[in-house]
Amino acid sequence: MWIKHNRTLLKKVLPLLAILIIVGAAASGCYGRQQPKGWSGVTVAGDTLFVASIEGSLVALNTADGTRLWPDSILGGSDSKVAVYGSPAVEGDLVYVAGYNGKVYAINSESGALRWVYPREGNLEPIVGAPVVSQGRIYFGDSDGKVYTLDAATGDKVGELFQTGDKIWSTLVVDGDTLYVGSFDKKLYALNTADGSQRWQFEVGGAIGSALLVYNDTVYIGAFDGCFYAVNAADGSLRWQSEVAATSWFWAKPVVYNSVIYAPCLDGKVYLLDAETGREVAGAVDLMSPISSSPVVVDDEVIIASQEGKVYFLGTSDNRLGLLFDVGESGQEIFAPLSASNGVVYIHAQTQKEDILYAVEAETGDEAWRPVTLSSK
Amino acid sequence: MGFGELWNAGPVALMINSLIALSSYFAGSFGIAIIIMTVVIRSAMYPLTAKQLHATRAMQEIQPRVAELQKKYGKDKQRLAQEQMSLYKEQGISPAGCVVPMLIQMPIWIALYQSIMKVLPIVPEELLGLSRFLWDWPMVYSALPLNSTFLWLDLVRPDIPIAIIVGATMWLQQKMVTPKTADPQQRAQSEMMLWMMPLMFGFLAMSFPSGLALYWVISNVITIAMQYFTVGGWGGLVRAKAGAGSGAGGVLKQRIAQVEKSPSRITAMEADVVDSTATEEEEPTTYGGGYTTDISRVKHQPKRGKHHKRR
Repeated sequence: MWIKHNRTLLKKVLPLLAILIIVGAAASGCYGRQQPKGWSGVTVAGDTLFVASIEGSLVALNTADGTRLWPDSILGGSDSKVAVYGSPAVEGDLVYVAGYNGKVYAINSESGALRWVYPREGNLEPIVGAPVVSQGRIYFGDSDGKVYTLDAATGDKVGELFQTGDKIWSTLVVDGDTLYVGSFDKKLYALNTADGSQRWQFEVGGAIGSALLVYNDTVYIGAFDGCFYAVNAADGSLRWQSEVAATSWFWAKPVVYNSVIYAPCLDGKVYLLDAETGREVAGAVDLMSPISSSPVVVDDEVIIASQEGKVYFLGTSDNRLGLLFDVGESGQEIFAPLSASNGVVYIHAQTQKEDILYAVEAETGDEAWRPVTLSSK
Repeated sequence: MGFGELWNAGPVALMINSLIALSSYFAGSFGIAIIIMTVVIRSAMYPLTAKQLHATRAMQEIQPRVAELQKKYGKDKQRLAQEQMSLYKEQGISPAGCVVPMLIQMPIWIALYQSIMKVLPIVPEELLGLSRFLWDWPMVYSALPLNSTFLWLDLVRPDIPIAIIVGATMWLQQKMVTPKTADPQQRAQSEMMLWMMPLMFGFLAMSFPSGLALYWVISNVITIAMQYFTVGGWGGLVRAKAGAGSGAGGVLKQRIAQVEKSPSRITAMEADVVDSTATEEEEPTTYGGGYTTDISRVKHQPKRGKHHKRR
């Protein structure tokens, strides 16, 4: 009866409802939240390299030929993928990996077996930066704004050293007995590694998402305000603030060579700054694509990768730019920091479906061994 | 450049940068930015909205006459369509006027939804992706990442209380324009529309970021205000009161009464169309503003337009 009574209405209303539901579903489905995949860098220890795949596994490869040393160690168990954004840290016979699922894993570097996980129950807020190992302790910053420290051997929590005002996504730096922390609260902190007491803090104009560079008693840091800062490591006073006209965020960790800071930016440029004065020693090098991958120095060249998958070499003596390697043609992008060892550059490239590790001779651009697929769907 | 790139570089980038700039101006409050953005969007769309409100109201008012036409020409679909179109034309109503403004708003909803998702990134990939949308304005790229909390809301995540508020405000909005009628079929239709849209939007709000729900709430409140001032009073929200004649509803009542007193205004066509026997059998349509009339017996409908001009 009701249906008969409202048949005309249903004919009118249902198409409208269908349109709204389809548009709503399309909008939420097509533009839903991205799943975290990660972009772990490579860490080389002896003749083994460690990298976390976008499938959430720790992979150990022989640096000589790229063969797997042990079956991939699945971090979160078989039913949950763990995104890893920081490079693994290696100390003794353990490899430490911090996951976006809020857990820190210690894995035996010889066998790939899990030694311990922190926390054993539950999860912390997502961890984005890499863990740092120093003097038997692990330090890492978390999305809850806290700095944690663990016993490196057992994974027991030593303490929550410090609370910042916002997320910590950058990798911490330990220099002597000082721990440097950059936070989204636009502050750089220097803490005592022993008890977490604050030595000083320095406020910048934007959030800090990139890793810090400590060089010659100075902390160099790029921020989301497009400015680059040099801060006195002893007292937190400003040494200089760059006057470069960056038009986006400093995301990747800078490198230094011969007192020149090479600061890559998401505006696609690499800024060359005098470490002492902050003045530009040469015009910015434009790669025409955002740079989120931290560069490396090999011999007298800076190797830089752009997001679009092109890897360049930049001569430090003549600032000559050349293309070293290109994975962009196959649709791969580079977000992970570059690593280098013995003249070989390790490039962790990825697409939505797979991630591949390349080993490239910095001198020639030739592949040292065949690319290794870390994971694929 | 494909449609997706154009869409991202155009409306989405515009909305993202505007929202961030507004947030930056208002002490980093993304909630206030959404509210201001909503007011700006709805103000820009006021002419369309007013047209939609008038068209919807007018369509409801002539439903009894449409029903008469259906009775009379039900078997001759072509004639029925012709007569309906003539009726719409006579009353100055465009059936599309009810739907087009809503359809025009849909791309804005989608762009806003995408903008909220992008401006408040959760995972690092999203934050990195956001940087591609930013214009070269220091006040924009320096302001990020934004604080996603506003009142009790985390604007990134769905929130049940605000989803309920979305449904409630939409119900109020619908109720205002729902005519009270004795015709069972029309009443059923009205009841269905009264509950269908609030339930649907409430449901959508439960699965979308609460920032979008905040947009819907503010948008509904603005629509309620527009309905009050543009169309006339609280409409269906007010219980029928004999003789009540205050407010905008009262103005409309007086207008209808004036029209009823002017039999000379009966047009030849209306006289031909109205089935007086059938009309007398039906109870009069009652509007919440306190006036009661059988709309099919109104000899002349004021043409719905900016100035309510009479023909």
